[in-house]
Amino acid sequence: MSPELLSILGLCGFATLCLKGSFIEGQRHLQMPGWFRDALDYVPPAILMALVVPGFIKGDATLTVLNGAVWIDPRWIGAIVAFAAYQLTRKSIPTLAAGMLALHGSYWLQSVLTAA
Amino acid sequence: MSTTKGTLSPLHAGAWAILPLTPGIVPFGLIAGVTPVQLGYHWIDSALASLLIFAGASQIAAYQLIAQDSALWVIVLTVVAVNLRYVLYSASIAPHLSEAPWPIRIAAAYGLTDQSYAVCLHTFAVREFDLRERVLFYFGGVGVIWGVWQSATLVGALAGQVIPRIWSLEFMIPLSFFVLALSTVRRPPHRTAAILGGSVAALLMHAPFNLGLITGASVGVLGGLLHHRWRQPHVS
Repeated sequence: MSPELLSILGLCGFATLCLKGSFIEGQRHLQMPGWFRDALDYVPPAILMALVVPGFIKGDATLTVLNGAVWIDPRWIGAIVAFAAYQLTRKSIPTLAAGMLALHGSYWLQSVLTAA
Repeated sequence: MSTTKGTLSPLHAGAWAILPLTPGIVPFGLIAGVTPVQLGYHWIDSALASLLIFAGASQIAAYQLIAQDSALWVIVLTVVAVNLRYVLYSASIAPHLSEAPWPIRIAAAYGLTDQSYAVCLHTFAVREFDLRERVLFYFGGVGVIWGVWQSATLVGALAGQVIPRIWSLEFMIPLSFFVLALSTVRRPPHRTAAILGGSVAALLMHAPFNLGLITGASVGVLGGLLHHRWRQPHVS
């Protein structure tokens, strides 16, 4: 482990500890304005989707890098199938499994069709 | 620690109460462990992130951004944004723990998780515990969650070394965040925040230092908040 990586992780850990301890430690001194409490509710969907969408479209899928390109990026199909699976089940494991299966299945199918 | 007949001590009761929630964190712990290894880091790096940060989604996000050579402030700000919900948890659990000595408060803050928060808040509302019992109950739950989480990430990190790249496990990163994001969309303003956050981040995905991420998230939060304010007069 490089000192740089250790310091980044340490900083991330300290920032997380500050958030977790903000009111446990400073309840007497801190007050949360109403707008801030409202805004906090929208942080998870906004930040998580900001992480997700580029991950589905940026660069090339590992499968295409290792085995060659296909017509439709298998990550897009994996994302669409995962979305459908979540709407049907509302559970994380079936959603992740459906997304991964769709990723590999759609790549395999397109490879077979391309070769035929 | 005494155990009265027919009842568990607060420490054991806390551990027992949180047990049903542990199977849900194992798969995510495995992913959090395997992700850094698949991105090229050592399994010790992965285990250390789990120890230092101890907050699942932000561990994965941190490594994803480190691997992309993002600026330090972008990495830290993203971790803060992903973990902002803990401020709400901290605010509502504080009345039950803030009278404890400071080393216990610091340890309690470190151990705060979605699961320990949910179980403790529910239990503290229905059971009459004194401070000592509340602290013991809290750490009973935290101990179980911490142990399960660290074990799962360690197993994931070790397994990640032998899983071939062709399995494309790195796709689990956006997929995991996708599941978490979908689970947070409960009302139309959440949908606005999610759509704006994702769209703006996609449009700016080639911006330097991964600025598209922070910009997208900020625009998403603002959009969600404005939608919320706009809807309020219509809500009875």
